[in-house]
Amino acid sequence: MKKISVLLCLLCLASPAHAAAPEEVLSNWYTVLLNLVRHTATYSPPVAARSFAYFGIAAFEATASGNTKLHTLAGQLNGLKTLPMREAGKTYDEAVVLNAALDAAIHDFFSNTGPTGQHVMAVQSSAMKARVASGLSRDVIQRSERFGVTLEKAILEWSKSDGGAVITNLGFPEHYSVSKEPGHWVPTNQYQLQQHPLLPNWGKNRPFAMPNAAACSLPPPPSFSEDPQSEFFKQAREVYDTRNALTAEQTIIARFWSDDPGLSWTPPGHWVGIVLDLMQQRHLDAAKASEALARVGIAIADGFIGCWHEKYHYDFIRPVTFIKKNIDKSWDTLLITPPFPEYPSGHSSATGAATEALTAVFGDHFEFDDTTHERDGLGVRHFISFKQAAEEAGISRLYGGIHFRAAIVQGLQQGACIGRYAAALKMQQ
Amino acid sequence: MIAQRFAALWLIVIGLVPMMMSAAFADPIIPHFVDETSSSGIHSIYKGDWQYMVGGGVAAFDCEGNGLPDLFVAGGENKAKLFLNQSHPGGPLKFTEANNSGLEFDHVTGAYPIDIDGDGIMDLVILRVGENKIMRGLGHCKFQEMNSAWHIDGGNAWNTAFSATWEKGNRLPTLAFGTYIDTQFQDQPWGHCSDNWVLRPRADQSGYGDRIPLLPSYCTLSMLFTDWNRSGTASLRVSNDREYYMGGQEQLWKIEPDKPPTLYTEAEGWKYIRLWGMGIATADFNGSGYPSYFLSSMADQRMQLLAGGPTQPTYREAQFDMGTTAHRPYTGGDLRPSTGWHTQFEDVNNDGLYDLFIAKGNVDRMPDFAQKDPNNLLLQKEDGTFVEAGDKAGLLSFRNHRGAQLVDLNADGKLDLVVVTRRDTVRVWRNISDHLGHFLELKVQQEGNNRNAVGAWVEVKEANGKIMRRENFIGGGHASGQAGFLHFGLGALTETEFRVIWPDQSVSEWQKVAGDHFYVVNKDRSIVEWHFGK
Repeated sequence: MKKISVLLCLLCLASPAHAAAPEEVLSNWYTVLLNLVRHTATYSPPVAARSFAYFGIAAFEATASGNTKLHTLAGQLNGLKTLPMREAGKTYDEAVVLNAALDAAIHDFFSNTGPTGQHVMAVQSSAMKARVASGLSRDVIQRSERFGVTLEKAILEWSKSDGGAVITNLGFPEHYSVSKEPGHWVPTNQYQLQQHPLLPNWGKNRPFAMPNAAACSLPPPPSFSEDPQSEFFKQAREVYDTRNALTAEQTIIARFWSDDPGLSWTPPGHWVGIVLDLMQQRHLDAAKASEALARVGIAIADGFIGCWHEKYHYDFIRPVTFIKKNIDKSWDTLLITPPFPEYPSGHSSATGAATEALTAVFGDHFEFDDTTHERDGLGVRHFISFKQAAEEAGISRLYGGIHFRAAIVQGLQQGACIGRYAAALKMQQ
Repeated sequence: MIAQRFAALWLIVIGLVPMMMSAAFADPIIPHFVDETSSSGIHSIYKGDWQYMVGGGVAAFDCEGNGLPDLFVAGGENKAKLFLNQSHPGGPLKFTEANNSGLEFDHVTGAYPIDIDGDGIMDLVILRVGENKIMRGLGHCKFQEMNSAWHIDGGNAWNTAFSATWEKGNRLPTLAFGTYIDTQFQDQPWGHCSDNWVLRPRADQSGYGDRIPLLPSYCTLSMLFTDWNRSGTASLRVSNDREYYMGGQEQLWKIEPDKPPTLYTEAEGWKYIRLWGMGIATADFNGSGYPSYFLSSMADQRMQLLAGGPTQPTYREAQFDMGTTAHRPYTGGDLRPSTGWHTQFEDVNNDGLYDLFIAKGNVDRMPDFAQKDPNNLLLQKEDGTFVEAGDKAGLLSFRNHRGAQLVDLNADGKLDLVVVTRRDTVRVWRNISDHLGHFLELKVQQEGNNRNAVGAWVEVKEANGKIMRRENFIGGGHASGQAGFLHFGLGALTETEFRVIWPDQSVSEWQKVAGDHFYVVNKDRSIVEWHFGK
C-alpha cells in the first residue's frame, strides 16, 4: 500500500491541475519522515519516537490552528505552555500552513541526515511548495507559510529542553560502567560501538503527556537465578525451547515486528505507518489523521521514556547471555539482540502505548491490514484490533529470542498505562 | 634446476626457523611510506556530487610491457586518466599521463584489469555511471572498445562493482557486474536498487550471451568471485549497501557451469547479515586453508572467518577479537564512527603475515560520522591480532578516500600505495622502508584460456612453519583492482619454496626460489626470473 502511496504522491507532484489538499501534504511528508528515520544513523527507536511525537504535534497544531473543532495541546503537554496563533480575520490556506510547518520540522529534526536524505528533502520541499501554492494569492501564501514556520519554530524551541535533542556517537556513551554482578546486562555482540548500552539517560528525558518517567513504573523482573527450578530459569528455558522449535508462522511474526533500526522504520515507525495506511484506507481527513498521528507519536515517545527509565533501573540480563552460559553455548537468537538492558521490552511498552492512543481515536475492535513490511517480502498481516496487533508484536520478541516473557507482559502493561495519558489529551472541542 | 641450486641454502633457511619463532610475538615491523604525490606526475581528481559519492577506483596493471604497474584512475565527472609508470626499481615514483590511450572516458567510477581474450595483453573493464566499457589492450597502452564486437552488454546504470572468473571449459571469462541505486528514482532512491547481472560466454566462445540478472539485487558496492570452500569452483560474494535496499542482505551466489546462478540460503548455512557493504578483501590470513573475508562498512568493519567448514558457507565475525573493528578514527580527535571503502590484505612489512589496509572517508557531509577519518593500516602480529600503524608508517591522511591499491609500483619488493580521494587529487605513497623482511613476487601464467591463471592459489612456505596462501582473483575492493605480480613477504627467509594450485586444480611441485626476486611462473614450464629492463 505504501508503495502505491509513494507513487500516487509522485504523480500528484507532477500534476499542476489543482493545489494539494492538507491530507496529501500530511501523507507526503510522513512518507519522507519514515524513510529518513530508516536512513539516518542516529535514529534508534527512542530517538525516532521522539521525532514522531514532535512531528505529530506540529502536524496537529498546524491543522488545529485553523479548525475550530480541534483543541490545542498547548497547556496539556509538559513544558508546552503556549503556541503562536493565527491573526484574527486574516485568510490562511490550510495546506500551505501544514506544508510550511512540516517542511521546517523535517529539516530541523533531520539536519544530520546524509546526502541522499538532504537531496530527498530538497526535492520534496521544492515540489510541495509549488504544489500547495497553486492558484493562491501571494499574500495568503506568504502569511500561511510564515505562520507554519513560526509555529514549528516554537515547537522546536520547546523540544530543545527535553533532554533528547543532542545525540552523539549514535547514542552509545563514551563512558559507562557495565555491571559485573550476575543477572545484569553485558554487551551481547562484538561491535566496539555497542560495548556500552544505547542511550542510558533516555529515561531522564521530559515526557510529553505522562507526568514523569516513573509514572508507570513496573515491579521487578523474576529474580535472577541459575537454579533450573526458579521462575527466571524457566522463562529462559521457554525462550530457548521456543526459539529452537519455531514454526514458519512464528518466524514470520518475529521478522514482521523486528523493525530493526537502520533497516526499517523502527518499532515506533511501524505504528506510524499503520496510521498512514488507515488514513489512506479509510479516507481520513487531516483533522482526524493529524490527531491520530499526534496521539500515537506522543504515546510511543512517552512509552520509550518510561521503558528506558525501567530498563536502566533494573539493568537486566538478555536471554542470549544467560542461555549461552547456562543452557547451550552454541545457541543463538533469530533476531539481533538490541544493545541495551532487557526489562521491560521496548517494543512491548511502545506498542502498548500506541494501542491505547489508537483505540482512543478509532475505537475498540478496529480491524485493519498492516502493510508495513510488504516491500520487505514479509507480506500483509490482518488484525481484528490494535490490541491483537500489540500482543503479536510483544510475543514476537520471545520468538526472536531477545526477551523473556516477563518483559513482554509487563512491557505491554506499562505501555497501556503510559498510553492512557496520551489518550486522555483533549484534542477536540 | 632451481631445486638443486637452492638445496643447500634451504637447509640454512630451516635453521632460521627457531630464531624466527623466538621473535614470534614481537611487535610487527612498521614500514615507512612517504607521500610522493606532488613529484610523481600523477594528478587526477575524482569529481562529482551525488552519483560520485561512491566509486572512485584505480586499476594497477602493466600496459607498457615493462613489468611496472601503470595506473588507470577514475575521474567521476572528470575524464579518467591513464598514468604510465616511468619509475626505476627502488627509485622515486614517476609517472606521465598517457595521451589518446582510448581510456579517457568521463563518468568513470572504477576499473579492473583482466585479459579477456587471452592474448597476453591486459584488457580493462571500466565501470561508469552509464554504459560500462570493455577495453581491449592493443599494446603500448592503447585500447579499443569491444562492447559491440564481443557482444558485451555494458548496461546503462550506476555501475559500482565487477568480478570475473573462468568457468570450466570456457575460453572467455564469466563477467559479473554490480550496480547501485536505480537512477530513475533519484527523488526517492531508497528501496530502488538496479539489477546486477552476469555475462557468460556463448557456446561457440565468439562473444557473450544475453545478460543473466542476479535478482534480487541490493545496491552493490563490491563483488568477488572467490573459491570460498576450495572446491575448484568460485562463487560470487556480493557486498551490499543497507542504506538503500529493502529486504536485502549480503549475498553469496552459486555460479556453477551450465546452471543458472542461485543464492546460498540460510538453510545451507549462509547467515542473514546486513551492513553498509562497501568493499571486500580476502586472504587466508590465519592459515586455515580457506579464504577469510574482510568487509568494509560504516562504524564496525567486519572480519569473517569460515566456521561451517567446506560444506557450509557459515562465517563467524572475528573483528573484535582480532582488533580490526576500525570503527572510528584512531587518531585526529574525531570520535564519530568512521566509513570504510577500499580494503585489501597485503604484507606491507614483508614479515610473512597479511596486513590490512582500509581506505576511509565520510560519504559526504554526514555529520554523525567522522569527517576527519584517516585510512587504516593494520599490521598483523604473530598472534593473529592486528595493530594500527597508519600514522607511524607515514600514511596519515584525513582526506575523503575511496578506491585504492597496495601495489609494488617501483619493483623493489615493497608495496606502495595509491588512494583515490573524492574531490581531491589521487595520492601516492612510496614505501621507502629499509628494514623490512625479504620478499617474493610471482606472476602466474598459463597457456591458452585464462592466461593469468585467475582462480589459482599460490602457496609460499614461511619461516614460522606456516604457509602464506593467495587466491589469484579479479574483483573485490572498492571499484579497484590490479593484475601482475603477487607479493609475498618472507620475513628473515632468504629463500623459500612455493607451489601453485592451478585453476584446473592440478598442483605443481614445491619449487625452491631465492627471496628478493621476481619470477614468472608458467604452468608446465620452468619458472623464469624477471628483472626490470630485461
